Amino acid sequence: MEQFEQLLTCAICLDRYRNPKLLPCQHSFCMEPCLEGLVDYVRRQVKCPECRAEHRIPYQGVQGFPTNVTLQRFLELHIEITGELPDPTSGQVMERCNVCSEKAYCSFCSHCDKKICEECKGAHMEILRREISRINNQIRRGLHRLQDTLALVEKNTQSIQSNCSSVSEEVEEIYRRLSKAVKDRTEYLRGEIDRYLGTEMRSLTNLKQNLEQEISNILSNCDLADKHMNESVDIWDDCELMDAKEIFLKTVDFIRNFEYENTDYSRRVRLVLAHDPNQLVLHVAGFGDLNLANQHFSQGSGMLQPPGPGLMRSKSDHRLATQFRQQEERGYDRGGYGDNQDEPLLGGRKFGERPKTERYTDRYGRGGNDYSDDYDDTRPARSRYSRFRRHAQDNDSDSEQPGRGVRFTEQQKIEREKVLDTEDVARGPLSGITRLADSPRVMKKLQENESGKKKEKEAPPPSQPAPQPKIVPKRPPPPANRQVSEEDEIAKIKKQNKGATTSAETETRPVERVAAEERHTQRKTPAPEAISSAEESDDESVTSLQQQQQQQQQQQQQQQQRKTAKTTTTARRPSDAGHIKSTRSASSDSNTSTETSTGSSNAVRSTGAPFTTEEVKQKYLSRGGEAPQERTRKSSTGSTKEAQPQKQFQSRFLHNKTATPPATTAKDNDETETSSEEETESEEDSDDNTTTPKPDTKEMAKTDIGALLARSANARDSSTENARRSSRDESSSTYTRSRYTAPKEDSPPRSRYGRRTSAVQDDEPPRYGYTSRFLNKSKSSAALQPEEEDHRYGSTLADDSDSKYPSSGRSRYMALKERRQRLARSKSSQQFGDDEDIEEQLSPTSSNPTAYLASRGYGSAASSGYDLSRSRSSHALKSRDNSPDRSSNATEKDGAALSSWARYLKNKYGNRNSGKDKESTNSGSPGSSSSTTARRLSLGLPLRSSTELGSSDDDQKNMQGSPTTPPTAATAAAGIAVAVAGTSPRSQYLQKCQQLFEIGSRGSEAGCFTWPRGVAVGPDNSIVVADSSNHRVQVFDSNGRFLKEFGQYGNGEGEFDCLAGVAVNRIGQYIIADRYNHRIQVFDPSGRFLRAFGSQGTADGRFNYPWGITTDALGFIYVCDKENHRVQVFQSDGTFVGKFGSMGSREGQLEHPHYIAVSNTNRVVVSDSNNHRIQIFDVNGKVLSSFGSEGSEDGQFKFPRGVAVDDQGYICVADSGNNRIQIFHPDGTFLRSFGCWGIGKGEFKGLEGVAMTPNGHILVCDRENHRIQVF
Amino acid sequence: MAALPRRIIKETQRLMQEPVPGISAVPDDSNARYFHVIVTGPEDSPFEGGLFKLELFLPEDYPMSAPKVRFITKIYHPNIDRLGRICLDILKDKWSPALQIRTVLLSIQALLSAPNPDDPLANDVAELWKVNESEAIRNAKEWTRRYAMDN
Repeated sequence: MEQFEQLLTCAICLDRYRNPKLLPCQHSFCMEPCLEGLVDYVRRQVKCPECRAEHRIPYQGVQGFPTNVTLQRFLELHIEITGELPDPTSGQVMERCNVCSEKAYCSFCSHCDKKICEECKGAHMEILRREISRINNQIRRGLHRLQDTLALVEKNTQSIQSNCSSVSEEVEEIYRRLSKAVKDRTEYLRGEIDRYLGTEMRSLTNLKQNLEQEISNILSNCDLADKHMNESVDIWDDCELMDAKEIFLKTVDFIRNFEYENTDYSRRVRLVLAHDPNQLVLHVAGFGDLNLANQHFSQGSGMLQPPGPGLMRSKSDHRLATQFRQQEERGYDRGGYGDNQDEPLLGGRKFGERPKTERYTDRYGRGGNDYSDDYDDTRPARSRYSRFRRHAQDNDSDSEQPGRGVRFTEQQKIEREKVLDTEDVARGPLSGITRLADSPRVMKKLQENESGKKKEKEAPPPSQPAPQPKIVPKRPPPPANRQVSEEDEIAKIKKQNKGATTSAETETRPVERVAAEERHTQRKTPAPEAISSAEESDDESVTSLQQQQQQQQQQQQQQQQRKTAKTTTTARRPSDAGHIKSTRSASSDSNTSTETSTGSSNAVRSTGAPFTTEEVKQKYLSRGGEAPQERTRKSSTGSTKEAQPQKQFQSRFLHNKTATPPATTAKDNDETETSSEEETESEEDSDDNTTTPKPDTKEMAKTDIGALLARSANARDSSTENARRSSRDESSSTYTRSRYTAPKEDSPPRSRYGRRTSAVQDDEPPRYGYTSRFLNKSKSSAALQPEEEDHRYGSTLADDSDSKYPSSGRSRYMALKERRQRLARSKSSQQFGDDEDIEEQLSPTSSNPTAYLASRGYGSAASSGYDLSRSRSSHALKSRDNSPDRSSNATEKDGAALSSWARYLKNKYGNRNSGKDKESTNSGSPGSSSSTTARRLSLGLPLRSSTELGSSDDDQKNMQGSPTTPPTAATAAAGIAVAVAGTSPRSQYLQKCQQLFEIGSRGSEAGCFTWPRGVAVGPDNSIVVADSSNHRVQVFDSNGRFLKEFGQYGNGEGEFDCLAGVAVNRIGQYIIADRYNHRIQVFDPSGRFLRAFGSQGTADGRFNYPWGITTDALGFIYVCDKENHRVQVFQSDGTFVGKFGSMGSREGQLEHPHYIAVSNTNRVVVSDSNNHRIQIFDVNGKVLSSFGSEGSEDGQFKFPRGVAVDDQGYICVADSGNNRIQIFHPDGTFLRSFGCWGIGKGEFKGLEGVAMTPNGHILVCDRENHRIQVF
Repeated sequence: MAALPRRIIKETQRLMQEPVPGISAVPDDSNARYFHVIVTGPEDSPFEGGLFKLELFLPEDYPMSAPKVRFITKIYHPNIDRLGRICLDILKDKWSPALQIRTVLLSIQALLSAPNPDDPLANDVAELWKVNESEAIRNAKEWTRRYAMDN
C-alpha cells in the first residue's frame, strides 16, 4: 500500500498528484506548481527531474503535455479505497495571491475585494476583527452622545411646544386687536352714514314743502288773476292792481330765476379707504409671519438647535461609525425607515433623504401658513428625524470627502451582499443600523459558537458568497407581514437572549429595543405613511443621489489609496481628540495634495492641528452651500463668527499658497523661455554658421552677388536709422566704395547707390520691431559673451549678418564680398548706433578702421596676421604667382579667403569675423577688379572667359578698347573656349550682318519648333531652345545639330506648359521658366528633372508668368517675373534671395520684363519690354543705367524682348517690335543693329530670346518663323 | 515570508520518521529551511569513523533549485575545499527537483566513499590524491581523526 501511495506521489511536491502531466519520458508530475516550476522559459524546455531528459514545451505551455489519465484513475481509485477526503483544493486552480503574490489556492476576500490566499485572508480577517472591536469601543464611548441627544430632543420638544403655544397666543392676541379695530371702525362709519342720511333727508323734505307751497300760491294767484283781473270790473283800485302786478312780476321773476341747486343733493357718500381694500385685506390676512429659519442654525437659539455637535460632528466617531457599518456589513445607514433592502445602502439612502429635508427647510422659510400646516401635521417627528439624518449625512460626506470611510465606496457599489442582512431585521430609524442580533445568520453563528464563546458578535464572512438568497424588493413589504416577522424575531431574540451569550449590542438595550419594536408595531398607520413619503422623496432625489454617488466614487479612489495605511495603523483612531486631529491632518495632507495637485506648499502642510482646521475650511469652501450648516454643527468647537473669518483667512492663505507656486513656475517658465530663447538664438547663430546650405565653394568665390543679398536683406531688415545715421552710412559706403573700386567715373553712381540704400532704409520704418528684436538678441548674445561686451559693435555686426538671414545662408557671402561687407557694416553700425551712441565716434568708417579695430581689440595682431598669412599661403599664392603684377590684391583676396576662416572663427569664438572682414576689406580695397579674378582663380573657379578678368567690375576698361587677355586668366580658364580672345568684339559685332545658319522650322519633330521663345548657350556651347508650344526643351550642338530634347506638356515634374525662358548654369543644369505653370524647373545636364520651385502668386518666390531666366556664375537664378513686373533672384537650390522692380515706368521700375541677362561683372540686364527700354541693375537691384525709348531709330525699341550680354559686356537686344537685333556697348551706347521683318535669312518675325555664345555668335529666336537664327 | 511549502514539511517529517542510516538532518529551531546535518564517514573509506557536520539550507525556490550544503567539519577530500564547499554535480547543474534532502546527503556520503580527484575543488588535495593516493588517504584519515572524531 505504501508503494502504491508512493506511485501516486509527485516526485517534486512529494504530495498526491494533482493533475498529473505525462512528459514524453513517461514521467509524470503535477502540472502546478511542480511542472510549471521546471520550465526553462528561455529555452522553452522542461527537464525531467527524474531522468533529466529535456523536452520541448508545447505551444500552449505545460498544459499542453498530456494528462496522465491512468494515474488519475489510480488516484480516484485510491481515494475510493482509502475513503480519504478528496483534496479540498482539487479542481481549483492556483493563482497568484493578490496580496503576497505567492501562488496559492486563492479565494475571494471581502475585505479587499481580491482573490487572496488563505494566509493573507486570515490576516485580513484578523484585522477586521481588531478593527471591529476597536470601533465598538469607540461606539461605546460615543454612545452617550446619542443619549445626550435624546435628552436634548426632549428638551427641544418642550421648548418647541412652549414656543409654539406662545406664538399662537401672540397670534390670537393680534387677531383680537385687529378684529376689535375693524369692528370699532365699522361702527363709527355706519353712524356717520346714518347721520348724514338724516340731515340730507331733512333738508330735502323742507325744500319739497317750500316748493309745493310756492306752487299753490302762484297757482291761486294765477287763478285769481284769470278770474278777476281780466274782467273790466272796477273792483280793483289802482293801488290794488299795482300791488297785484308787483306780485305777478315778482312771481315771474321768481319762476325765471328759480334754479334748483341740484348738486347740493346729488352728492354721494363714498367709502374712501386709506388703503387699497385688497391690500388691506392682504395685510390683515398676512398680518404675521412665522420665521423660523434663523433659529435652526444660529447657535444662539437653543430651542431648535440640532444635536449635531455630539455624535454627528465628531469626525472620528462618525468615521468609525461609518467604518463600523461598512466593515460589519450591516448596512449601517441602510434605508432609514424603509426596509426595502435594495436601496443604496449607505449614501444612497441618505442622499435620497436629502431633497426631502431641503424641501422641508424651504417650507420653513416660506411662510406661516405653510409652516403651520406642516407643523400641525402629524409628522413633526419625522421631519425632525429627517433633519437629523441630513446632518448625519452631511457629516458622512464630510468625513468621507477626506477619504475617511475605509471602504465606503465598496459599499456604494452595492455589489457586495450583506450576509447579515435580512429583511426582517430591526433597524435604527435614524442610522438604519440593523440590529445584529436580529440577523438569523448571526443567531445561527452564535448558536454554533455557544460552547466557544470567544467568538464575537460578528462572524467572518464566508469564503463563498452568501448562500442566503438575496431578496430584492423594490417596495417595502406589506406592513402587516413585517409586523408579524418582527414579532417572530423578537420572540426569537428573547429566547436566545435568555440562553445564549448575547452580543454586546443586544445587551445594551434589549428592553428599549423591544419596547421600540412594540411601539412600532402598534403604530401601524403612521409608519407606512412615513415610509411612503420617504420613498417619494427618494424618487425625487434620484438625480442628486447620482451626483453624490459620483462624487463619492471620486473620493473612493483617494480612500483606497489611503486604505492600506489605515488598516495597518493600529493607532488610527485614538480616543483623545488631539490625536485624532493629528491623524486627521495627516490624511488631510494627502488629500489636499491630491486636490491641489500642485504639490507646492508641502512645508505648510506638515504642521499638525492648525492645518487640520484649515483643511476643513478649505473643504467647506469647496462644498459651497453645505458649508454654513456644517459650520453650525461645528459650533461646539468654536463660535460661528470666529469660524467664519478664520475660514476665510485660512482659505485665502491656502489659495495664496497654491497660487504662488504657479506664479513662480510661470516665472520660471519665463526664465526658461528666455534662456531657451537665448539658446535657440545662439543655436540659430551657430546653425547659421554651421548648417547654412553651402553651394559650391567655388561659387562662393564669385563675390559680387553678395551685394544683392545684402541689399535685399537690408531692405527687409533696415529700420531704425535716423537721417544722421543714414547719411553717415552713405558717406561711409561711398568712402569704402571709392576706396575699394577706385575708378574714375564710377564714383557718382556709387554714391548714388549709397544714397539709395539709405533712402530705402528710411522708407521702411515698420521694420523697427524686427530690428529691436534683433537688438535684444544681440544684447543677449553679448550677455552670453560678456568678455566681448565692449566689442558690441562686432558682435552686433556678426549677429546681424548671421541671424538676419538664416535661410539664405549668406553669411558666407557676406564674409566674402566687399559690398556685402560694406552693407552689413553700415547696417550693423546703424543698429549699433541706436544702441550705443558712444560707439559711433569709433565707427569703422572713421579714417583709421584698422586702428579702430585694434582699439576694439578685434582679433589680435597675431591672429589676424595668421589669418592673412594663412589665407595668403593657401589661396593667394597661386594667383600671385600667376599675376605678380597684381600682388596688391593679395590682401583683398585675403578678405575672401578669410571668409571661410572667419566662419570658422565665428563658430569658435563668437561674432568676431566681421571685424576681420572689415579689416581685410579696408586694407585690401584697391584693385578689386583684379582681385576678384585672382580670388576666383585662387579658389579654383573656372573663368568663363579670360576677358572677364579685364572687364570685371569696370566697364570703362573695356571702353578703352583694351581687351585684356592676361595669360593668367587664359591659363586658368584653359578648358573654356575663348575664341573671341584676341579679336575686338566691337569689330566682330560690327561685322555681323548675315546669318551663319538657322535651326528648325515649324513642327513638333525633333529640330522643329512651335513658337520657340527662350534660347541659351550651355557651357559646352550647346544651343538650348525653349520650344514653347511644343512644351519641350531642345538642345543642339554649337553647329545646330540636334542633340536631345526633354519635357512634354503637363504640370508634373519635368513637364511644361508653354515654357518661356531657358538658362544653363555653369555646371550644365538647365533652368527652365515653366511659364504657365508659374514655376522654375531645374534639370540636370542630361535632361533629368532635378527640382522645381515656385507657384503662382505675388509673394516672394512665387510667379506670374515667369518669362526670361538666366543664371550667373555663382549659380544664382534670375527670373523675369513678367506679370509681377519684377525680377526675382534665387539660389541655385531655389531659395528665394531677393527681388527688385515693380510695376511702373520710372527708374528701377519695370513693366512686363521679358528677358534678363547677367554679365560676368554682375550687371543685370533686363528688357523692360513695355517701357521700351533696357535697364541695367546691379545685383542689389539698384539701377545702374537704362537706355532706350520707344521708337524705331537706332537705340530705340519697340517692345524689346530678348537680351544677352557677352563676356565683354556688350549687350544684344532683340527689338521685337522692330524685328531687329541691336547691339550696344557695355555702357549702353548704340553699336549697331541688323535685321528686319520677313521670313528670309536675317529677317525676323516676332523676336524672342537672344543669346551670345562665348565665341561671339548671336543666337536669335525668331518666333513666328519658328526658328533659331545664328549670326 | 511565505509559509513553508508542503514538500519541505513532508521531507522533514520523513527525515525524522525514517532517517537514513548514517545521516541525521535536523531542522533548525528558528528556520525550518536550515538543517543541521551529521554524516558518518562511510565504511572502507579514509573517513570511516568520522562524524562530519554539515549545514544544509533550502533556498526559497527549493525544490526548483538545489539546496546549499557545506561541510562544517574540516575534511581532507579532493572535492571539498577548505571552506567546506562541496563539488558535487547534483548540487550544481545536475540538480533535479526529484532529488530530496536525503538523496543529496546520500550523494555526499557516497562522495566521501569515492573521491573524484579528476574534478577537484581542493587542488592540492586532488594533486596529492592523484600523485600519491596513499599519502592522501593517510592525510584524510589523519584529518578525520583530528577533526571528525573528537566530539
